[in-house]
Amino acid sequence: MSYGPIRERLRRGEVLILDGAIGTEILRRDLTWADHQVLSRPTVVRAIHEDYVKAGADVISTNTFQLTRRALFNHFRDEAHRRHIGAPDLDDRADRLLRAAVDLALEARAAVSGGRPVAVAGAITTLEWCFRPDLAPTPAQARPEYRETIGALAKAGCDLVLIETVNSIAEAQVAVEAANEIGLPCWVSFVPDEHGKLFSGESMAEASRTLASLGPDALLVNCAPPEDARAGLRELAAARSGPIGIYPHIGRFDPPEWRFTDEYPPARYVEEARGWLGLGAQILGGCCGTTPAHIAALCRDLWSGVPGPRSELSTPSDSGPRTPDCS
Amino acid sequence: MLRLRYGTAHARVMSAYEVVRGALGRGGPIVLGGPMGTELVRRGVRWRGHGMLTDSDAVRTLYLEYLAAGADLIRTNTFQLNRRIYLDVFRDAAHMRHIGAPGLAQRASELTRRAVELAREARVRSGREGVAIAGVMSPLEHCFRPDLAPPAHEAEAEHRELASVLAEAGVDLILLESMNTLTEARGAARAGRETGLPLWASFVLSPDGRVLGGEPLAEAAAAMRDLGAEAVLVNCVPPVDVGPALETLVPGGPAGAFPHLGKLDPPSWKLEFFPRFCQTDEWPPERLAMAAAEWLSRGARIIGSCCGSGPAHTRALSPRSEVRGPRPSRSGLEMRSQPNPPAPFPKGKGELLNSHPLPFREEGWGVRL
Repeated sequence: MSYGPIRERLRRGEVLILDGAIGTEILRRDLTWADHQVLSRPTVVRAIHEDYVKAGADVISTNTFQLTRRALFNHFRDEAHRRHIGAPDLDDRADRLLRAAVDLALEARAAVSGGRPVAVAGAITTLEWCFRPDLAPTPAQARPEYRETIGALAKAGCDLVLIETVNSIAEAQVAVEAANEIGLPCWVSFVPDEHGKLFSGESMAEASRTLASLGPDALLVNCAPPEDARAGLRELAAARSGPIGIYPHIGRFDPPEWRFTDEYPPARYVEEARGWLGLGAQILGGCCGTTPAHIAALCRDLWSGVPGPRSELSTPSDSGPRTPDCS
Repeated sequence: MLRLRYGTAHARVMSAYEVVRGALGRGGPIVLGGPMGTELVRRGVRWRGHGMLTDSDAVRTLYLEYLAAGADLIRTNTFQLNRRIYLDVFRDAAHMRHIGAPGLAQRASELTRRAVELAREARVRSGREGVAIAGVMSPLEHCFRPDLAPPAHEAEAEHRELASVLAEAGVDLILLESMNTLTEARGAARAGRETGLPLWASFVLSPDGRVLGGEPLAEAAAAMRDLGAEAVLVNCVPPVDVGPALETLVPGGPAGAFPHLGKLDPPSWKLEFFPRFCQTDEWPPERLAMAAAEWLSRGARIIGSCCGSGPAHTRALSPRSEVRGPRPSRSGLEMRSQPNPPAPFPKGKGELLNSHPLPFREEGWGVRL
């Protein structure tokens, strides 16, 4: 297991770099993302993971966003209808794709980490759509599904689970409980709105309070524009003494794809990230629209101030990460 | 004659559907063009914007191939195209404006107009001006999820918007496809009729032969005819489900079917209709033609095929394809994904079909310009 050194570094208050986007990076490499591509184009997916490891990421996440049985079954009215008109392998397709996706991340780490401790985080998100808390299943419905998917990620060899783009406290709680039962360390990341609240309308403070007793190792915000993510981070920082993190998206959601913009080239992304350090973020990465170049820039330049003017908030000597209080 | 009248849109529009209507009145058969989505994806088109922003040549080419294959009516590339498919993946309209690409609120309307424009261009190029262009409308939410259907008043208003875009863009009739609840179908039918265009309505069924949302098919068909539908069909069901459905539909008036071939192979990441079917080689064109012969013998006047089929299937159904000269190429597109040459006819798999003579080999079958 490669999570031990990562957890230790979190406890020491060190800054960790998470990887960048997988799904939009697949699109950027001129493939559709309809199937996560883990079976159809494994070399492309593995190469993306390798690029993030080579860029210097301490934690890479699996290409498993929204990859569940429910996501496949949702395309049918019910089981009878699925059996009548659906592809014959749908019962266990999610499980096969999950295993293949984790394998690709593990293979990438083995190939290019050079012995550097890199953790593989199994990514899981809300069971319905990440931006639609109104569609969320009840906790009773969600519980066995989280157990199933997190169980599959654990069995396939993930070091931790990254429960990401979460839109309500209730779903986060069910997911963390499932991870705890399975015995996999977990990080939880919420999608914040412009005011730094969860999409359910709940506050980061409530989320932090509710999850405290369940002990996720870190709380983060992701999949919002940098300014919204910063608002969410600020709320988390005010509410929580343990490790917090941030990985915003850049560009525009252009369903079913992503529109890449030049608003946040790597150098500007690094400048933005210095502000996150100033707010106490200990885990920094990127969501949709970010690339290995963004992660490489974070790893290379975050402390050096090489690209462009340095933010006054965020030199490591004066306002680096707080010493976290990890009990 | 029709070519001479092509000077005004009105004359052409009336004539194109009048040809179909005349054939329908004579008992058909009318052959529908095949699907756009699954065939475009099979040809390697990356499914975004229904292919119309990035692969408009491929869209036009496919229309042309259905026209060359002998279709009497082609269906626009607008299935599951409405503003909800964009709005649904955001929290709300404000969130869409906040993090979405510019113009998403108008995207569906723009793509709809483009779909009709490409179909009309293809028709002109084909020289088959008597072929009708059916403006396809479908459930606003996922076609196989009747539980997600919006409330009646919302559905009707949104269908009205779609129907008016199709009508203004110049379709010859409105075709409601894969309708999964009677409530939404009623709203869509009223919206379609308000344009003044002719209307056909087609339902997707559950395994027990009811409309997928649970209503009896007979009731749904009667409701559509009451609202002015000139034909009622079933589509996007397996071919084996067509016969029983026709027993219900045929006594009520002009009826037809365009089943899908193979199995729905959904994407693993998002609830959006992604047009991909697998195991389609179990239904080579010859097998579909044999099945269609049986549907015609049961009184169907309109035949075609839905997801999973392609121009070769349309050609196998059409009596006119054999006299229309050389077959078109399989398009200039490279087959990048899942090349799918029709498999040899699966011997022994045709038991469910009888051995009716194939009516499309008879003289006088089909419509004439």
